[in-house]
Amino acid sequence: MCLDDQILNTYLDKELVEPWKTQVEEHLSYCTACQKRYDQLEQLHLIISQSRLQEDELNNSKKKVLSFIDKNYLQQQNKVKFINREFRIKTPILLSSAAAFLFILMGALFIGRGIQSDSGELIPSVVLSNGGGSVVQVRATEALAANQVLENFSLEEILKYLDSKGFDVDLRLRTIQLFEQNGENSLANE
Amino acid sequence: MEVKSSDSKSFKQVYEEVFPVVMRVAYHVTYNLDVAEDICQEAFIRFYEKNIDFPSIDEAKYWLIRVTKNLAINVVKRKSREQAMVDKIKKMPRVPIRNGEQELINSETRTLVREAVEKLPEKLKSVLILKEYADLNYKEIGSILRISESNVKVRVHRARKIMESMLDREEMHVS
Repeated sequence: MCLDDQILNTYLDKELVEPWKTQVEEHLSYCTACQKRYDQLEQLHLIISQSRLQEDELNNSKKKVLSFIDKNYLQQQNKVKFINREFRIKTPILLSSAAAFLFILMGALFIGRGIQSDSGELIPSVVLSNGGGSVVQVRATEALAANQVLENFSLEEILKYLDSKGFDVDLRLRTIQLFEQNGENSLANE
Repeated sequence: MEVKSSDSKSFKQVYEEVFPVVMRVAYHVTYNLDVAEDICQEAFIRFYEKNIDFPSIDEAKYWLIRVTKNLAINVVKRKSREQAMVDKIKKMPRVPIRNGEQELINSETRTLVREAVEKLPEKLKSVLILKEYADLNYKEIGSILRISESNVKVRVHRARKIMESMLDREEMHVS
């Protein structure tokens, strides 16, 4: 039985696997009709394949397209890379300076709170809003001593004193209500 | 070797190796050098911009061939819809005339082959071009066109059969 064109084409393309390949080779060695047909198919393949665009015909396009892409894309990428690299150096510096700034800010806040708790526990609004005579008075004495001095007076006396000095003292109702509620609660508990 | 399509070194390496194949695919689908050049440019720009990692140069090559083939076929479809444009293309200079002594095959034969390839139905044309002009094996063609190897085998055979019937063998000369 002779070989059909599809098998010969597959053999021609070197895609025929064993055992078919050996069988085809064996058949072609003695069957002149199949050998002739194989030669025709090979000739056809050569004619088609050799009608290809040749290397020297496409070299011009190869250079042209590469120079276009190089100019418009590859070199652009290098520019972007350069900017990125600059950023990569700058970013840690930015971050560390931001961290340092935050550290200092936090420190300042803690110190501020410390001063408040020492000197203005009883009348914080007075100390904060009027940095005048009374503050100087408190600061002049030792912090502990100032607390002790203030403790000797009732809230009413302190308010009267501040009023006579011309300070505008603002006591919020909300705070008082809370105080009363707390007081009631604590009484109820007792 | 791994290929990163947006890396300029990788890109140039792939370009150097793959351009001739891609250009041949584009050319033999459209049979117009300028159009083929534009298609290749578009394909390589897409390749660069997509920023894909390929496990090997061959994988990058298959990707590029697939994109180029699709672009070229779309161009041909568009052109055939605009008959006037087709006529214009045909009037344009095809391939620069080469020195007769250098060529492997004469220009008349090339023209006949070209005319026959142009007449092939799209499915057979793609397979034949990838086989004869991109020098790929059945497995590679199958993976590019997303069809089975045995389907490629059948299509190669059918395409050659039609080509044979269209070409007058008496006029063919291969040196």
